[in-house]
Amino acid sequence: MQEPKIKFDHVTKVFQTRSQSILAVKDYSMEIAAGEFVSILGPSGCGKSTLIRMLDGIIDTTEGDIFIDGQKVNYAKKKMPQSILRKMGFIFQQPNMLPWFTVRENIALPLRVFDLKGPEWEKRVDELLELVGLTEYAKAYPAEISGGMLQRAGVIRAMVHDPEILLMDEPFGALDELTREQMNMELLDIWTRTKKTIIFITHNIEEAVLLSSRVYVMGTHPGRLVEIVDLDLPRPRTLSMITQPKFIQYREKLEGCIGEIDLSKIK
Amino acid sequence: MAKNEAITARKKKEKRDPKGIIAPLVVLAIIYIGLEIGLRAFHVAAYVMPTPTHIIQGTIKSFAIILPDFLFTLKIICIGFCVAIPAGILLAALFSQFDIVVKAMQPVVIWLVITPMITLIPLMTLWLGTDPNLRVIIVIIQATPIICMNTLNGFIHVEQEKLELAKSIGATKLQTFVHITFMNALPQVFTGIKLGCIFSTIGAVSADFVSRGQGLGDRIIKFLKYSNFEQSYGCIILIAIIGISLYTVAEKIEKRIVLWKK
Repeated sequence: MQEPKIKFDHVTKVFQTRSQSILAVKDYSMEIAAGEFVSILGPSGCGKSTLIRMLDGIIDTTEGDIFIDGQKVNYAKKKMPQSILRKMGFIFQQPNMLPWFTVRENIALPLRVFDLKGPEWEKRVDELLELVGLTEYAKAYPAEISGGMLQRAGVIRAMVHDPEILLMDEPFGALDELTREQMNMELLDIWTRTKKTIIFITHNIEEAVLLSSRVYVMGTHPGRLVEIVDLDLPRPRTLSMITQPKFIQYREKLEGCIGEIDLSKIK
Repeated sequence: MAKNEAITARKKKEKRDPKGIIAPLVVLAIIYIGLEIGLRAFHVAAYVMPTPTHIIQGTIKSFAIILPDFLFTLKIICIGFCVAIPAGILLAALFSQFDIVVKAMQPVVIWLVITPMITLIPLMTLWLGTDPNLRVIIVIIQATPIICMNTLNGFIHVEQEKLELAKSIGATKLQTFVHITFMNALPQVFTGIKLGCIFSTIGAVSADFVSRGQGLGDRIIKFLKYSNFEQSYGCIILIAIIGISLYTVAEKIEKRIVLWKK
């Protein structure tokens, strides 16, 4: 079998607070192939954000290992080397723009930190701005543009250093329904063209079915993997698919998974 | 490019809007005329409050006497203030590197902000002698803590997500500080600097009051002793003008640098 792009091997994360230790993720394993679009679905507090934060070196693991291209990437208490970080782009729930930089400066920030200089990178920034229709707002400050535009800027900032993997932490959760649908379709479009590996975190079942090839369903107390659902829906996906029987079938199946979790919580 | 032009146009409009200059001038004129009329109408004695016109006349007449003291106080405030800004920011930057130091130093800084440094002057004269130029030290220890306190506040209150962004792109500690922590604190740094203007002025004049011999504070007392009330008030106004000028310069620089805040 081909080497998985990303591999979680029995990963556990315990957060130590002053009074207690919280088991955020328990014994989580998953394998994702290159170019796949997978979703991690679960209610809030199930540790789904924690997973991709561990992968991106923002927080460290307590137990277990994470591999990218077969290379172990979790270094206890040590900063992840830039060569690995460069493979990933992180898209936050909030646009997370730095208000003191213009839109363009914000998007180019990873280039500055990764020390990627030169006209080809400048050109890449311009192309990405063009891609999401922000060219004319390049010199604006984040406070001067709308939420949807900001989130688009957040997406292309994560892509500016040409990472192979995009990690998306409920990226469109803060947007209104219409903008969200539009952004989802734009994202699919970007994925089809660039074939990046995408891990998409969401608590929205419909979104997970619409976008991904496989859904990892997580439960709470402790955060753990409860189900893996492969989605056999044709690509390219369109919004009109939402009403198709197969789509509804998958949605109901996932709703069932989530429902079980809720019941177990009541017990 | 239409949007960009709109933004610049809006900024220009804000800058050129004359209301911001005219309105305070009108208030100033009303106070001037009101005092002038009121003081004359009610026959207020000059030792209670001279009329504005008399204050200006008296001050101009005695300006040759006032000037050396004015320049001395201006020098003390400016030098002290210019040392206090980098000192305050640098100390805050050092403290903010370690949580434990922040916790340890915050009460000390607040304690220094609250203590009126005028109380230290007699002691400092004992330690350092009577050279009037030593009043710079009073200004420095009066203004540094307030700048440090505000800056430190900005340094330690950075949104977690912004720091996560830095981590996700592997920014070094220095890069994180320069691009995120420091920029995040800039508005508060300027608040500290503006408060520093006020504290510097207070520090310098209170030093004059205690140590005497030179400075506008000293000149006020001398004028009062010889019943030159107009000139005393003139000196008070000159002190205020120094403070306001520094404050205005700080504010202008802030508007140039902190472009993202409206």
